[in-house]
Amino acid sequence: MQPALYVQNLHKTFRNGHNLKAVDGVSFEVNPGEIFSLLGPNGAGKTTTISMLSALLKPDNGATGVSDIRIMGKSLLAEPLAAKAMIGVVPQDIALYQDLTARENLVFWAKMYGLKGAQLKTRVAEVLELIGLTDRANDRISKYSGGMKRRVNIGVALLHQPSVIYMDEPTVGIDPQSRRSILDGVIALKNQGMTVLYTTHYMEEAQELSDRIAIMDHGKIIANDTHENLIRLVGQKTRISLSVNVEPETMIEPWRACNGVSTLVIEDTKINLLVDDSNIVLPRLFETAAAKNVRITSVEIQEPNLETVFLHLTGRALRDA
Amino acid sequence: MKPFDIAFKDLTRSFRSTFSLIFMFGIPLLVTGMFFLMFGNVKATNAISIPATKVVVVNLDKGNAQTGALGQTIVESLQDKQLSGLMEISLMTDAAEARKMVETGASGAAIIIPADFSDSFIDPNARGEIEFLQDPTLTIGPKIVQSVLNNLIDAYAGIKITTSEASKKVASGSMTSDQIGPLVQNYVAAIHASTAEDKLIQQHTPASAPQKNAAAALIGPIMAGMMIFFAFFTGVNTTSSILREDEEGTLPRLFTTPTSQSEILRGKFIAVGLTIVIQVAVLITSAWLLFGIQWGSLLPLILSSLCLVCSAGTFGILICSIMKNTKQSGIVFGGLLTVTGMLGMINIFTGNPQGSPLGIVPMLTPQGWVARSMLATMSGASLSSILPFILGSFGISLIFFLIGVWRFQKRYA
Repeated sequence: MQPALYVQNLHKTFRNGHNLKAVDGVSFEVNPGEIFSLLGPNGAGKTTTISMLSALLKPDNGATGVSDIRIMGKSLLAEPLAAKAMIGVVPQDIALYQDLTARENLVFWAKMYGLKGAQLKTRVAEVLELIGLTDRANDRISKYSGGMKRRVNIGVALLHQPSVIYMDEPTVGIDPQSRRSILDGVIALKNQGMTVLYTTHYMEEAQELSDRIAIMDHGKIIANDTHENLIRLVGQKTRISLSVNVEPETMIEPWRACNGVSTLVIEDTKINLLVDDSNIVLPRLFETAAAKNVRITSVEIQEPNLETVFLHLTGRALRDA
Repeated sequence: MKPFDIAFKDLTRSFRSTFSLIFMFGIPLLVTGMFFLMFGNVKATNAISIPATKVVVVNLDKGNAQTGALGQTIVESLQDKQLSGLMEISLMTDAAEARKMVETGASGAAIIIPADFSDSFIDPNARGEIEFLQDPTLTIGPKIVQSVLNNLIDAYAGIKITTSEASKKVASGSMTSDQIGPLVQNYVAAIHASTAEDKLIQQHTPASAPQKNAAAALIGPIMAGMMIFFAFFTGVNTTSSILREDEEGTLPRLFTTPTSQSEILRGKFIAVGLTIVIQVAVLITSAWLLFGIQWGSLLPLILSSLCLVCSAGTFGILICSIMKNTKQSGIVFGGLLTVTGMLGMINIFTGNPQGSPLGIVPMLTPQGWVARSMLATMSGASLSSILPFILGSFGISLIFFLIGVWRFQKRYA
């Protein structure tokens, strides 16, 4: 089966004084009808990757092999216009004309995607219905709430019924209700057979939406599999989150030395540990703390999740990375 | 079609912006309107209304047998009814009182003719200077009075030459002293005659020139200057929508659609051109209707207007192609447009539209070429005499356009 999106050996270095390697040999495939998430902390290279997949940035020539991006079999580098007709891009920030109405925006973008006449009118009406803004269609975007703007921002990318839709962190900075609405919308798109490439730094979103997840860090894909398979990478390890009545740094060395502790990081005021068996390791942690005259004020034991996977793979917390 | 869709969208946005509308139409018409009101209702009266200056005249001249009372002839000339609109003459006998009236502002000017004024025409050693005093707080009125007085004195200078030559003839015996008096009287009569009906120069207006009135002469160049200045502002402001869209994310989003880079840039440039076309058309029509400004013959006007559109648009394209973002461009645009605008239209701002106070300097700016073409069109110049300015302007525009497009293509490649 031909992949909806085929990405091979992408490299990008920004030469702005300190040669920042934003993307370093990224390769993956997305199957038709699949939701594929790129999960990683801020600065991991997700947006740079999606910019190259949208033809906004030209990939560098990698030291090993040739870069290639194919959308439904069409090469974005060789046939950019044909390939771009297959994608709909939802940028991270609202990219709409604030002084035009929602309808005017949709009509304009529909024309840019090559829609005309009756088809254009029909699609604009359908998208307005889909995003639930038919009643407010003639209001200027500047008068909309943040959530409504997000919905129009997504609606623009759906006008030409693309085969693949890219969504670059579409839930950043919005209220929980709008966020829920967007996540439901993404699932609805999948149910209609659309392929979705979704970037996020919220592991809950990736976990809920994705058929497959690629975890990115420092411009590289460090793991790429289904949610279940990624969790298996951690093995039987459990994540324990502890608070203490002193500075958390006090307990780094004593707890790291405990038998059964594989990883330890401090996140805010909490100490997160990856341990082999919490039933055996937890008493040891209490003993060590008592020996140091330190009192443990809270304990939280979590089942392995994507956060645990990231911690396991990088030795850092996802939110801190 | 896509370039026109992009252009239509940009036009819609421009004409929805209050800021743009004020700068495109409001300020040029407002500034011209202020000049229109400052100079009075020139359209209705076809003349500039300046109030008559109060002038006190003290004639102390005693006269003499040969020249008669020349001081009195000066007073009569000043009292001529043709000058009554410019000055209001009051006669006095006390010079000190006249000076006091000027000092207190009771009179705008004072003219004191000395006792030996007539004698000074026959005695080479006599000075006989007329004293002129003016209220320093007044500018235009007393200057007009002084100018009239100087003209009269210049005319009387011939009498001195006449009497000097006549005195030499009396000394050589070829003429008697009795003959000097009638000679001077004839000369004075001739001066009066020439200042009344017999004009030495007859002024004619060429048949090809557009009908001129005071409004066209005063407000026309100002309106043309305002239109050129703000059309360049519109050119830069509209082109900077490329930078704004880049920052707002809509330009990158456009690049993700199956729309080529050249179609996007073409659309942007069409929007710039059309916006300036609308601005120029509205300003020309409004100025004609509101202030009665005559813009000259149609074909030269169309060509000059096209010149303005191309020049302003391509100047905007060039400048925006060099700027990195709107923050940078805002600062540069303000300064650059003001400096080039002022230099390009220095003739208009110095109140000498057809002259060249700074010689070639205006022609170093694109505004200068357009201004020359537009002002020549307004003065009724023939197409052939305007053509060099139009071709020069188009040439500069072409260079700006090529550099700007090259830079934009490079940036968004």
